[in-house]
Amino acid sequence: MNWLDISSTAFQAAFYLYCASFICYAIAVAGKRWSNREPELHNRRWGRFGFILAVAGWVCHLTFFFTRWKGGGHIPTSNMYEFMTFLAMAIVFAFIIVHLIYRNNLLGAFAIPLVVIIIAYAAVFPSEVQPLIPALNSYWLKIHVTTAATGEAFFAVGFAAALVQLLRVIDFSRTDKAGRREQRWVEFVLFFMVVIIGFLVSVFAFRGGGYEAKFQQEKVSINQQGVENSVTQTVEYGLPPIVAPYNSEKLSMQPYLGIKDPLFEAPSWMNGVNAGRKLNTVIWSLLSGAILYGLLRLIARKPIAAVIHPHLSDIDPEDLDEISYRAIAIGFPVFTLGALIFAMIWAQIAWSRFWGWDPKEVWALITWLFYSAYLHLRLSRGWQGTRSAWLAVIGFIVVLFTLIGVNLVIAGLHSYAGV
Amino acid sequence: MIHNTKCECGHQNPTGTVLCESCGKPLVDDLPLDSPLEMRYDGAARRSQKKNPAVIDRVWNFFSSVKIAIWLIILTLVGAAIGTIYPQESTFINLDDPAAFYKETYGTWGAVYQALGLSRTYESWWFIGLLVMIGTSLVICSLDRVLPLYKALSKQQVRKHLTFLTRQQTVLEADIPGDAEKWVADFGAQLKRKRYRVWTEGTALLAEKNRFSRWGPYINHIGLILFLLAVLGRSVPAWHMDQYVSIDEYQVKQIPGTNYYVGNDKFIVDYYKDEELPDQLKGTLRAKLYQTEATLYACTQYCNDDPLHDPVLEKVESHDIEVNSPLEYKGLKLYQYNFEQKIRLIEVKPMLLDAKSGQSYGPFDLKMDDPAEKSEAGPYTLTLNDVYPDFGLDEEGRPMTKSRDFNNPAFVFRITGPDLAEEGELYIYFPMPSADDKGVQQQINDSFKKLGSNSGRFNFEVGKMENVKFSQYTTFLNVRVDRAMPYVWVGAAISMIGLVMGFYWHHRRIWLRIDGGRLTLGAHTNKNTYGIRNETASALAKCGIAVDPKALDNRRNSR
Repeated sequence: MNWLDISSTAFQAAFYLYCASFICYAIAVAGKRWSNREPELHNRRWGRFGFILAVAGWVCHLTFFFTRWKGGGHIPTSNMYEFMTFLAMAIVFAFIIVHLIYRNNLLGAFAIPLVVIIIAYAAVFPSEVQPLIPALNSYWLKIHVTTAATGEAFFAVGFAAALVQLLRVIDFSRTDKAGRREQRWVEFVLFFMVVIIGFLVSVFAFRGGGYEAKFQQEKVSINQQGVENSVTQTVEYGLPPIVAPYNSEKLSMQPYLGIKDPLFEAPSWMNGVNAGRKLNTVIWSLLSGAILYGLLRLIARKPIAAVIHPHLSDIDPEDLDEISYRAIAIGFPVFTLGALIFAMIWAQIAWSRFWGWDPKEVWALITWLFYSAYLHLRLSRGWQGTRSAWLAVIGFIVVLFTLIGVNLVIAGLHSYAGV
Repeated sequence: MIHNTKCECGHQNPTGTVLCESCGKPLVDDLPLDSPLEMRYDGAARRSQKKNPAVIDRVWNFFSSVKIAIWLIILTLVGAAIGTIYPQESTFINLDDPAAFYKETYGTWGAVYQALGLSRTYESWWFIGLLVMIGTSLVICSLDRVLPLYKALSKQQVRKHLTFLTRQQTVLEADIPGDAEKWVADFGAQLKRKRYRVWTEGTALLAEKNRFSRWGPYINHIGLILFLLAVLGRSVPAWHMDQYVSIDEYQVKQIPGTNYYVGNDKFIVDYYKDEELPDQLKGTLRAKLYQTEATLYACTQYCNDDPLHDPVLEKVESHDIEVNSPLEYKGLKLYQYNFEQKIRLIEVKPMLLDAKSGQSYGPFDLKMDDPAEKSEAGPYTLTLNDVYPDFGLDEEGRPMTKSRDFNNPAFVFRITGPDLAEEGELYIYFPMPSADDKGVQQQINDSFKKLGSNSGRFNFEVGKMENVKFSQYTTFLNVRVDRAMPYVWVGAAISMIGLVMGFYWHHRRIWLRIDGGRLTLGAHTNKNTYGIRNETASALAKCGIAVDPKALDNRRNSR
């Protein structure tokens, strides 16, 4: 058994431990009014199980990280799979810190499933260890990526707390316009998370079924000297192609639902690596997410937010506001250091300029500006509580776009972080 | 609205004061009476609240507003995001006609984007204007607040107004049986153990810790201002240089605009072997290393294209330049930027072949970029008659050179020596080992023969590979001077120090007074009210008042 085998075993263990932790937290929060029990005691006991399992999962996750480092020869933060697993690990770290300060089970009930989703998302990407390209071969890879991800992890915990807060304060008895709007938007955030789960379900279902389709795509690019280059490449699909890559020909495709050809072609302006395949994935996610959401609604017969809301009554919204703000306040300096300052130092060494308005750099700046605006808005009255919770939610969406969206729709110097 | 700015405690406050500078009694009744007080800047008056503002005051007021600052941040954020929709023009080198390029590559929306100037977002007047305004706002916002805050914090009263205490976020009212002064002293001792600084005045107490964290935001802002100024400083031409040089192997080139020369001693490209790659990447070229073994020379004499002398170079530095490892010398930095695989001859050592006698002479040295006027090969002398660095034929079929680069060099020699006519014989020589070239060489030499310029008995031959020195790669180096960088880093460091101070320490203050056996306690922090409640409750518990930290939260009581 070599290091990498230990590593992947530890990773699976971590995943299942997190799942178990989530289940305990869910029982802690949802099972308080079950018969034959003291609500307070029940909550505390199952919450403790949840936390212990989360810490155990984190220890396995650390084992995964360091054995992969040892086995792969470089820090496992060099591609999307490694980065997402690291981000998940950082979120658990941030969760542990914030939990130790505030000891609130609701936070675990929302932060841990986020971790599970991110790990599952990481598993979508090829997990093999890839040797480093020269641009990444620097000790700044260790410093920049880890600190940036840690900062973002605290934003993720801030997001989880803010989401609980929104679900806590949402008022389903309101029928006025503002009240309905709030209900709709909270539900939309939950729908968005269901879509991500839908994405994971469809990817792993078709992967399990061994689905495959291939296209030959011709790509015209203009190089540094201004010379046009045309490259043909094969694009492999794991999901049935609804959308074909731009400027491509079908090589092979297993028919699905009696459909033998892609329905349309990706637009030319999507110029990320394998943009067509990614667009196809987004469409599948929305489809399966919508089906999943429909099923949930059918079972519950009311909005998901309305299902969760009654279980959250024993915490004050002010405490949630404080947790969310505190997590972001802890994360902000770390993020500044990792995603901006260390990034600038590395850029100065590797690309000869500390700032070049590369899309990833710009979006890191946008994230930073967004959270700066959040922190300044909190100075004024009326921007605490619900409004600030909304900002924390939007802020994390900006973070996700910076981490994933930029690689998905915008190409740039960070394009190697794709697949 | 005119307020009477004199407080009931007798203190005269400046206009705009929210909480009496002395006793803390609220002077403005804009909030519900039972809600927590607005404690920003300790309620001190700011310059921007001056009455009857003049023009300069209005500008000051505009930039001192946090609301305006937030708008500036949001506008910058949106502007920056718009700039990432399509690649910026600056990402393309040699973009002759951006309008056509954007139309062609990104369609109509691309053309609109380019026409609106959004393809140059980050150089645009409005974006730079926003950054300058953010900078101004940083300066003015900070000055407007830090001075009153400093004054307010450096002359705090211990005994505060009762309203001030009961309207804090963390509040407690309780009865204290027994000696009030002793209880205050005990409580003060407890707080001291929690690293508070404690002042007492009879039965009143003020405890404070981590005041320095209040300066965090302002230090952060100073860092950001320095950072922005340094970024602006990069536009000073003498502070900034950005050049690209392409150098073949074994070539030494002057760095434009400097007295430095840089030599490419060797260029190495290394790819991963298949066994080092995971299955998915097997068979692909995955680069492992790009490296220019570079030497930097300083020119000491004859530097500026002196036609009579070669420049005198002195080696000052050598370094293996890699992507993450530039060569650095006195603020000059050379970065690995790109490379090209392109064979170029540097030097050959051909033999002169005499077909008549079957003998060969030489070898003689032939440097491509600096061929000797006369060379000796055995008894023969070769005089350089003509050089075509990049050989080609013009429209009339006459030899010419297409460029000054040594892409396809050809040399015409006049050979003189024993058994030859006095004016010698003319031969052309193509050192590049391509069949095409050899054909042309044969043709031209045949035509010389027809003209009677030679007898066709000589030929050239490079025997072994060791007689050929060639460059396999051309490396592209980016040469940079950035004298503003130290200020950029200092700005970033100061900013970071400010952030850490402001976010990881929290300013906490606890006031209390006991009036006739009745304790009134108020506590304030700008961040982490949870922490101060716990700390207060734990100190109270040690002094005989058991209270749940949550019960101290004033917001809950008012809800």
